[in-house]
Formats: sequence, structure tokens, C-alpha cells
Amino acid sequence: MHEASIALSLLEIAAGECNKSGYGRIDSINVKVGRASGVMPDALLFAFDAIKEGSIARNAVLQIEEVPVSGRCSDCRKEFTVDQEYVLSCPLCGGGSFTITAGREMDIIDMEVS
Amino acid sequence: MKVKVVSRILEANDRIAIENRKIFDRAGVFVINLMSGPGAGKTSLLERTIAQKGGLRVGVIEGDIAGSDDAERVNELGVPVVQINTGGACHLDSNMVSEVLGDLPLDELDVVFIENVGNLVCPAEFKVGEDMKVMVLSIAEGHDKPLKYPLMFQESSALILNKVDLATYVDADIGKIRKDTLSLNPQIKIFEVSCKTGEGIPGWISWLKERSGKG
Repeated sequence: MHEASIALSLLEIAAGECNKSGYGRIDSINVKVGRASGVMPDALLFAFDAIKEGSIARNAVLQIEEVPVSGRCSDCRKEFTVDQEYVLSCPLCGGGSFTITAGREMDIIDMEVS
Repeated sequence: MKVKVVSRILEANDRIAIENRKIFDRAGVFVINLMSGPGAGKTSLLERTIAQKGGLRVGVIEGDIAGSDDAERVNELGVPVVQINTGGACHLDSNMVSEVLGDLPLDELDVVFIENVGNLVCPAEFKVGEDMKVMVLSIAEGHDKPLKYPLMFQESSALILNKVDLATYVDADIGKIRKDTLSLNPQIKIFEVSCKTGEGIPGWISWLKERSGKG
């Protein structure tokens, strides 16, 4: 729902980095978005394409890697990855003490500039 | 050429949130980011809390997409209030809050409530400089909400379960709301209240005083 403000932050960070590098245009941006981050990749792409017009990233392609939710259980001491957006109990042993280790990301990894 | 970035997309928001938090800390104010879906009772909770706050000095930042109805309701109770209109944005961000900090007499306050835009999804993603997040869910919204909107339940320090006076009229299973909420967030404190009748409000206020270290 707030993909537009996320796209705006993304563009600001990418444009800042591109300027720092001394190049004048961004060709692609790689981002990682966790499945539990609340961000819908399609909506983010749509928002990014709408705001990139007229910017240094106007020809940039946004590549989104979705990251599934993973965790580590302190009962069975195993690591797990699930398809859902949240975890109520360890999917391996049913235990309730676990830490989520991935799935909330919303990170820019790198980009191609020229 | 490839350029490594490795940066959180919301980093700019988080940075301003930290600045806001420093300003609040310097003024000695405890700040609550109050969140819920539209109509769950955030403003009603504020009205009840302000009416029964005892010696607590409360200020309010009201966030709405448009209009100032909520700020006017709070203003009538004689506490400092400032309105933010997001102009369409579905949540408050740290920059919007930063811009109105000068409009509240922070040095004269103990607790500031930042009433977020009514929305069960986005406000949970954006830090605004709060000490803790508190959410309101009215039982009339249904017992399926914790599992449908897990993030807000996971991020909140307290869940105010409002409109319990409607329990006999709606089919909500309060036990299920409690169970699912605690599964998502074992540390969360749950208060069953009715902002209409005042039921449960004293328990919430004494917890608030204890957590904030005020009053």
C-alpha cells in the first residue's frame, strides 16, 4: 500500500549513489524484498516506473528478489524456511521459541550505472 | 559498471526517526505510536485516556489523510495537539513528524501520543521516533485480524481490544484474538476495554504510567 513512498526512498538512495560514482545514468537496480516486509513486488515495480520519469533512473529496470521467511528454532536448534508470511510455531518441532532470521528485508543490493 | 549499494530502503526514514527520538528524549517525553484500522477507536481511546490521566501531562500529534476532526476532538479536552494531513499517504513517516515537533511544548509534557493514519498495514513499517507502538483493535472488526495483519500485532507493545461492550452483538471470539496475538508476539500486553463505557481504561492507564515511568 505504501509502495510509492518506498519507491521514492529507493530512487533517492540510488540516485545519490549514482551521483557519487560520477556516472550519469542508472541502467538497473537490484533489490531484495522479504515476503514478510509488507511490500508487494508488482506494486513496487508499478510505483517505481511511475516516479522514475525524468530522473537519472528513467531507463532503469528494477529487479526484485523475493526473500522467503526463515528462522532458527531454539527448541530443536534447526533452521527453517516457510512459504507463509509469518510463523506461529517452529514448522519442524512445533516449539514456540524461535527467531526470525530473514523475510523482513527491504534492501538495495547493487545497481548498474553507465 | 556495477555499484554496490547495500542499504536499507527505509534508511532515510529510520535516520530521521532517530533524530526525532533524540529530541523527545532531551525533552524527557515518552512517545507512543498509536495505530489501528479506521474506526477501531484510537481517538476515543485518547479521549478516555486524557480524561482519566491523573497528573500525566499529555500531548497529541494527529495524523490523518485529510481533515482535522480528530484534532478538534482532542483540542476540546484542553491538551496540546497538532494535526498532520498526509495528503493521501497511508501512514505517517518520520519526516512528517519531524516537521511538527516545534508546534508542541515538549518540555512541558510527559507523554506524547502520535495517532497514526487509520490503516492496519503500513503504519507498522515506518518508525516515527516512538518509544513504543500501541495498537487498537475493536472486536467488531473480527477475530481473524491478527493472522491477516500479523506485522502490526508483532510490532506493538500493547493491544487495546476495544468495544468489548459489543461482545453480545458481534460474533468475535475474543479468546482467539488473544491466542493468535500472543502466538505472534508473546510479550504483548492485552487490555480489553470499552471506550464507550470506560470499562478497562484504568488498567491501561496504570500500565501506561508504569511503562513510561511518568505519573
